[in-house]
Formats: sequence, structure tokens, C-alpha cells
Amino acid sequence: MLTQTEMAILNNILDQLIPANKKRDLPSAGKLEIAAFIVQRASKNPVLKKDIASIVLYAQSKADKVSPNFVRQLQDNKPSEFESLLIETYKGYYSRPDIREKLGLSAHAVHPQGYDVKKESEELLDALTEPVRQRGPIFLDPTGGKKDGA
Amino acid sequence: MEHEPVDVLIIGAGASGAAIAWSLLETRMRILCLEQGGHLTDAEYPSRKEDYELSRYAEFSCDPNVRGLKQDYPINSENSCITPVNWNGVGGSTINFLAHWPRMRPSDFRTKTLDGVGEDWPINYYNLEPFYEMNDLNIGVSGLPGNTAYPEYKISNPPIPIGILGQTLAKGFNNMGWHWWPSDVAILSRDQEGRQKCVNAGTCDLGCAAGAKGGTNFTYWPLLERAGVELRTNSRVREIQIDEATGLANGVLYHGEDGQVHRQRAEIVIMACNGVGTPRLLLHSSSNLFPEGLANRSGLVGKNLMFHPLTGVAGVFKEEMKGHEGPMACSILSQEFYESDPSRGFSRGYGLHSGRSTTPMTFALGGYGVDNPIPWGNEHLEIMDNIYPYLAGLTIVTEDLPEEHNCVTLDADLKDSDGIPAPKINYTLGENTKAMIKHGEERAREVLLAAGAEKVLAKNDDKVWWRAGWHQMGTCRMGNNPSNSVVNSWGRSHDVKNLFIVDGSIFVTAGAVNPTSTIQALALYVGDQIKNNIQTLFD
Ligand SMILES: Cc1cc2nc3c(=O)[nH]c(=O)nc-3n(C[C@H](O)[C@H](O)[C@H](O)COP(=O)(O)OP(=O)(O)OC[C@H]3O[C@@H](n4cnc5c(N)ncnc54)[C@H](O)[C@@H]3O)c2cc1C
Ligand code: SF4
Repeated sequence: MLTQTEMAILNNILDQLIPANKKRDLPSAGKLEIAAFIVQRASKNPVLKKDIASIVLYAQSKADKVSPNFVRQLQDNKPSEFESLLIETYKGYYSRPDIREKLGLSAHAVHPQGYDVKKESEELLDALTEPVRQRGPIFLDPTGGKKDGA
Repeated sequence: MEHEPVDVLIIGAGASGAAIAWSLLETRMRILCLEQGGHLTDAEYPSRKEDYELSRYAEFSCDPNVRGLKQDYPINSENSCITPVNWNGVGGSTINFLAHWPRMRPSDFRTKTLDGVGEDWPINYYNLEPFYEMNDLNIGVSGLPGNTAYPEYKISNPPIPIGILGQTLAKGFNNMGWHWWPSDVAILSRDQEGRQKCVNAGTCDLGCAAGAKGGTNFTYWPLLERAGVELRTNSRVREIQIDEATGLANGVLYHGEDGQVHRQRAEIVIMACNGVGTPRLLLHSSSNLFPEGLANRSGLVGKNLMFHPLTGVAGVFKEEMKGHEGPMACSILSQEFYESDPSRGFSRGYGLHSGRSTTPMTFALGGYGVDNPIPWGNEHLEIMDNIYPYLAGLTIVTEDLPEEHNCVTLDADLKDSDGIPAPKINYTLGENTKAMIKHGEERAREVLLAAGAEKVLAKNDDKVWWRAGWHQMGTCRMGNNPSNSVVNSWGRSHDVKNLFIVDGSIFVTAGAVNPTSTIQALALYVGDQIKNNIQTLFD
């Protein structure tokens, strides 16, 4: 659906949306070629397809100079198309197993393994709830423990 | 096509439909359940797949308007600040529910007497108590006995972990001297009868492939089908029919899997389509006897719709909170502000629920129940690095008061795939709720700071979560007075003596807790009453 140049423009925009994160060793969204994910989804979603086409058209003259300022302009001028792009970028980026793993999540399907969460010991729960138990019951009991109609 | 008549016809295979079928099993009556959706197979659970999170925004969204599956009906929520969410299929909304399992409290059944708001229920906590217990055993509930916000009750499984997040918040509540307790959950903390214990995957809204969550697809239905209850799936009821001579319901017309309209006769009809689906079907079942909709002589079918409007406040802590690990909604619950205190400036109250947070994708897209993507660029990195991992939040879940103008009607234009009019929601937030939310946000801020939060993030407006129409109640309420209620104290229509309703629509008030334990206890209570009154059922 997009030419190579258009894909490059889109990836340049994506680099601004999710820049590289050196601290966590995470690449930018453009470097991960999330544009390919977006284009693939757009092929099944005519509204998204239109939004992406409109953004690429708007950005065409800026192929090599996509800056944060330019992206802000894009957001102001094409707010709904921009939001579609942003949503799909986040979906594409954070659904990647390699990215998930770097963020401490399971890379693959979460069932059946899930996550190992340590159970609190009885002693810990006792200690934590002690102040609550000390204060005693806090509920009103308007029928004094009796059923209606009994 | 005409089918052989049955004794009992249940419409809807969700939380309440399954519970009442179980209650009626021992009568040996011939029971049939018609359900518009199908069974989920193991492979269909998103959490079995690598890209499971994407389905949250597509075919496994909690919002039927986003899913748009054949079995879904669209909902027009243009005139509402909250949109109803659900699942249509075997298990109903217990497929994607989060299994937080608090009971209602004794005062919830007497708000008119105690606080001069809402209405009193014709039954009370103690009528339901044995049925809460019975249902908890059937579902498999985990929690810590001794909660001081309730009369004593038994819990069969030890609590699930509250996690670092719950422990941190609990200390904040203790520092404030406020009530909190580990949440009761309809989730297994140990393996039981072929169901795996919770593995903390955090995908409860996408169905629980482990079977740890007490959806009726794992609890009641397998047992019911083995016992001979017929579950006819992909069968959408379009109309309940009435014998004009007797005034009794005599069956339904439904759209079958084959695309044809079928007729099913029955001696007793039980509606379990939830707080939106049930009034929709009654309003669509008008006749000469009931021109304003079936069982609607009171004019209250569809009225008094209640949700639990909610908003969230989050604290940013020093330590990582691991919010994506563990059941999404269930860690701890504070009921310090649950009942009325005149000094607060509103009636009744709210709960402070500690949801866990979500995965990075869902967080980046605005969080669960909200749809505002977080900022992009360097601000994005800052949030994902320095806020997201350290978040622990509280949701303020308010008691909604019944107001007639909040209602379900039939949409004049919008229809489902079988041409049945869609429900239309008219709903605004009451002033009482707005005051509660404001109060709750302030208390949440205090307790988060007391728990050690370095920063508190709140919206500070009176907007509530849009996709928080999880709990739908009040639209066919119960009562002793036929001019002021739709069904009697045991779920039987005042107008049609063999028509029963067992879902959340029969709630009189909403309480400020998740409703499903009460919905199912009520369904078992109604079943019990049917059995007790079997000789004179239609008098
Ligand atoms: C995302 C989410 C999270 C939730 N979290 C919690 C929670 O933590 N705790 C809690 O207590 N509750 C929670 N709930 C609410 C809970 O799921 C509902 O309260 C409960 O399922 C309602 O039971 P019900 O029997 O009234 O309706 P449902 O369980 O919704 O079942 C209704 C069934 O009727 C069927 N139906 C409707 N119309 C027709 C028709 N015309 N013909 C045939 N079939 C029909 C539907 O397909 C559906 O299967 C949550 C709900 C959602 C959606
Ligand atoms: S967190 Fe537990 S209850 Fe929720 S889906 Fe995973 S296993 Fe099921």
C-alpha cells in the first residue's frame, strides 16, 4: 500500500513517537519498523488506511526532516488521524515479544505459565490486618441478623 | 420451526442463568437454556496466543460496539457518560469479568429507611446469606475470613497474593486508621476439580484459560450439561409470547443457528439476559395485553438503570509495583466510606478498590476502561520509565442511586444482526455521585501519600470511566408493590405469573460493590422460592 519512500517517512514519524530508550536498551519504533505492522493492519481497516494515507501525504515534503516540532504540527493539523497512528504505534511496539521481555513481562502467551507471585505468609497478613481487626465491626445491621418474612 | 415444549426455559447462559438452572436441577423438570452466543474453545482464549493484548481492542474488547461479533447486539450510548460492557456467549459476562467478589452489606437492603434515598428491598442480607454461601462453594472463592465490614461468613480457599502493591497500599490505610481487607475473589488459590489455580497472568478480562476464574463456563455449565440441562447456543430470543386468554407466557420466538425463526414453548420462562438485555427483550415483547412492553404495567421496565460510576487515582512509589502480575481487579478493598455520614455532604458511599495496573500496551493506550493514549516523544519515555513501573492505583467505586430518567429504551433505528432493535441508554451522573467521586478522590490522594507515594496522579474532573458499564442493575426492580416494581420479592413478574427475572435488573439499589455474588445468590434464592411454591406457583 505504501512506497518505500512513504514507509521511510512513516518510520521517521514513528521514531519521534517512541524514541529510542538507551537506559533500557529499547530501540525506537521506527527502527523496529513498526510501520510494517501498521500498514498490515491498515490493509484490513479502511478507516486506518485513510488516516495513514492522509498523514503520509501531509508529511511527504518533510521526508528527511521529521522533527518533534513537525510531529506537533501534524498532531494539531490532523488530530484524529494522528491519534489513530499513535494508537497503532503503541499497539505494534508493545505487542512485540522482545519489547515485552525487556519490560519484565512474559514474551509469549501468558497462559499456562503466568507469573510467579509470592504468597504472603499468614503472619504477614495477620500483622497487616491487625489494626483493622482491633477497631472491630464497622457495618450497620438494620435487621439485627433477622431475615425478612421470618 | 416448532420445538417440543419444555418445563423451564431460561434465556441467557451467564452468571444468573447458570445459577438458577443449578437450583432447579433437583426438580427434575425439563430445563432448556437459549443463549445467543456460543462456547469458547480453549484455543480461542487470547492468553493462549502471543499477541493476546491486541484482542483487548478487537474481538475480545469488553465493549460489544467494538467487538461487533454476530452474537453481540449494538448499544446506543450516545446519551450516556458510561457505556455498558458485556460478553455474549456461554458464561455471559463472567467470561470477561474480573472476579472481584464482595457481597452487598446489610445496610444496602435498607437505604430508604436508613438514609431516605433509593428504596428498601423486599428481602434483606440474611435472606440471601445461605445462598451467598451455597454459590461461593459452587464457584470456588478465595479470601481471608474475618472482614470487619461484614457479618461473619466462611471462605473455602486461602487468599490469593495481594502482592507488593496491595501490601504497600494496606500500610497506607493502616496509617490513616481506615478499613481495608484483602479482596474476596471468585478465583481459585489452589487447584480444584480440574480447574487450575490462578497463575497471576493478569488477563482476566480476556477470559481465564486456566479456569481459575469462576466463570460459569467453568463452574456451573459443565455440571449442568452433564446433568441433562439442554444448552442451545447461537439462539437469540426475539420475543416472549403471551397467551392472551390466560395472561401467561407460553414460550418464545428465537433466531436459531440455522438463521431461521424457531418457536419454543415452555411452562415457565426465566429471564437472565442482564440489566440491559432483559429490559430490551421485555420492551420488544409488546402485545395487545402489554402494549408498553411485557410485564410493564408499572411502567418501570428499563427505568432506574444503575451502574457503579468510577474513577481512578494513582500514586507513584519508589519501588516497582509489578501491577501486571496477578488478577487485574483484585488485591485489597477499603470500605471505610461505604455507609452514610451526613458530614460528607452525600448519601451512602463508595469503596476504594486497588486494581492492579496493566501491561505496558494497555497503560500506553490509556489504561483499562479509559481511552486516552499517553503522550508521545520524550514525555512518553519519561512516563514509561519513571511512572508506569511504580504505579499503584485506587478506583473509587460509587453507589449509584436509582433515578427513573436513567434508563434503557429501544433504539428507533439501530438493530442487531437479526433485526431486533438495539437498546438505547439514557444516563447522567447524579449530583450525589459527583459529590462522592470528589470526596473519594481526596481520600484516595491522602491514603496514597500515607502509603509512601512520591507523587499522586488524578484527573480532577467529574468525568468517569467510559467503558465502566460493567455492572448493569435496577431496570426491572423487585418490590412488594406492583405499581412501584416489576417483579415481586422472589423474582416473579407482578403481571405475568409464570415469568421470572433473575439477573441484575431486579436489584432495587446498587450498593457500592461488584454485583455478581449478589446476582447469583439472588438467582439461587429465586430458584429456592420456586421450589417452595411449586404447588401454587401461578396463583
Ligand atoms: C469487563 C467486565 C468486568 C467485570 N468485573 C466484575 C467483577 O470483578 N466482579 C463482579 O461482581 N462483576 C463483574 N462484572 C459484571 C458481571 O460480569 C455481571 O454482573 C454478571 O455477569 C451479570 O450476570 P447476568 O446473568 O445478569 O448477565 P450476563 O452474565 O451478562 O449473561 C447474560 C447472557 O444473556 C445472553 N442474552 C442476552 N440477550 C439474549 C437474547 N435475547 N437471547 C439469548 N441470549 C441472550 C447473553 O448473550 C449473555 O450470555 C464485570 C463485567 C465485565 C464485562
Ligand atoms: S490472573 Fe488468574 S484469574 Fe486472571 S486470567 Fe490469569 S489465571 Fe485466570
